[in-house]
Amino acid sequence: MIKRTYDWIDERLNITPLWRDIADHEVPAHVNPATKMSAFVYCFGGLTFLIIVTQILSGMFLSMYYVPDINNAYYSVQYITNQVLLGNVVRGMHFWGASLTIIMVFLHMLRVFFTGAYKAPRELNWVVGVLLFFIVLAFGFTGYLLPWDQKAYWATSVGAQIAEQVPVLGPYIRLLLVGGSTVGALTLTRFFAIHVFFLPAALLVLLGAHFLMIRKAGIAGPM
Amino acid sequence: MSSSEDPREKLSDAPRHRQTYRDLYDGREPFFPNFLLKEWIIGAMFIVGFLIWVLLNKVGLGSIANPNDSSYIPVPDWYFLFLYQALKYYPGNGEVFGAFLVPVIVTLLLIFLPWIDWSKNRRPFKRPLATASMVLVIIMMSWLTAEAWAQHQAEVGGSAAGGSSSSSSSGLPFAVQHPTSTALMATSMPGYQLFENTCAGCHGQNLEGSVGPELRGIGNVASSSQLLPVITKGFPPNMPPGGGLTNKSQLQQIADWLSQQKQK
Ligand code: HEM
Repeated sequence: MIKRTYDWIDERLNITPLWRDIADHEVPAHVNPATKMSAFVYCFGGLTFLIIVTQILSGMFLSMYYVPDINNAYYSVQYITNQVLLGNVVRGMHFWGASLTIIMVFLHMLRVFFTGAYKAPRELNWVVGVLLFFIVLAFGFTGYLLPWDQKAYWATSVGAQIAEQVPVLGPYIRLLLVGGSTVGALTLTRFFAIHVFFLPAALLVLLGAHFLMIRKAGIAGPM
Repeated sequence: MSSSEDPREKLSDAPRHRQTYRDLYDGREPFFPNFLLKEWIIGAMFIVGFLIWVLLNKVGLGSIANPNDSSYIPVPDWYFLFLYQALKYYPGNGEVFGAFLVPVIVTLLLIFLPWIDWSKNRRPFKRPLATASMVLVIIMMSWLTAEAWAQHQAEVGGSAAGGSSSSSSSGLPFAVQHPTSTALMATSMPGYQLFENTCAGCHGQNLEGSVGPELRGIGNVASSSQLLPVITKGFPPNMPPGGGLTNKSQLQQIADWLSQQKQK
């Protein structure tokens, strides 16, 4: 039944070559932890992706209850933590997952750095990687404000103050971030929009490019 | 049973041993499902470890944001601490340098790394400059992070030791009880003018506080000798050391004047 459905679709869309290309390409021995345990450093990119997938899933569930306005944000997070079934676990996953993502991205970057895998012909993928790194940091910065507790509020205020120090553009960057003269209702809504719409869109596009380039250039050879 | 029927008897042209999978396997394998299954073993352990951590470490929620309580000691999430700490070393105008120039240069170096370290050598020891720089950066970042955390703990601890009733709401080393009387005291002392010129921009012309916290009634809880080191150290990056002043006798005069502010 499943096979007949697949064949029916395949006859019309010819999807087999698409996934066959991904499935059949050969993975060299030097990145396979089954041949050499130390090759686990090559898993860091994949593990980053895995933890990002869990971030997206836990974030989707959090957004069912989270309310992005200054009167309710704090209480909605409190509600998620104390009332919602497994809410504290989902929030815990998203909270700790943020730190873990940063750690894994950093480790992955160090792996690429110390194996010299950013050299020709993989320069462009390194650049995409650096952009991904900044996107992940931006996720952290915008997400930190969303619970709207004291820690969130004052960290963002200081962040905005620091952004203001940039010569010439500083005040504009601050205004763009904060949306007004002090961190407030406008800041929360725009941080929310950036955190759940703008950044995920950018992340997915860049990840797509990242993976496409890995497939095109292949993984860098043994040292 | 005759010996020729013994199934263990070697056939004349058969290989001595069956080639095992191990002998054929040179480590190369298709991405899916072979390799991905193995990577998934690592992934599964990773996720299980993560979930155990999540279950054992509950996430808290502080008190609700209060934009008027500017005495709260701000702290960014741990992965921004190194940046936050680095900024503390650029007081005054240096902040432009610290908050802008250094991050921009580091970012550019990172983005253009493949064209900076352009040689074909990939081994870390064959490109000592790149390797040493990165090791140095990692050490610096770790040190800055640890230092930022230690300083933050000291600040928070200091405010608790100073008798602040709720550690989350007051960042001051001395609890200030928002007095009802607002008149300034001892305005003939030299410290008054110094304060108005240097500190009032943040703490208010009448000590009411704006960017920095309110200082009315500070004399009720702190003596001049307690205030002097706090002012001298400042609260970088929010308040530069000495509020920007470096002259010891001027700082002493300000501390003397502040210790007279005993509004009730
Ligand atoms: C969102 C974060 C990221 C994800 C999910 C990700 C994912 C991956 C994956 C799965 C690979 C295959 C090899 C491996 O796993 O090590 C890879 C390779 C690579 N990544 Fe990333 N990456 C991310 C961020 C970065 C960053 C921050 C950089 C560098 C600044 C980077 C640069 C590279 C390069 C140059 C390769 C090719 C390495 C080679 O051919 O050996 N990536 N990435």
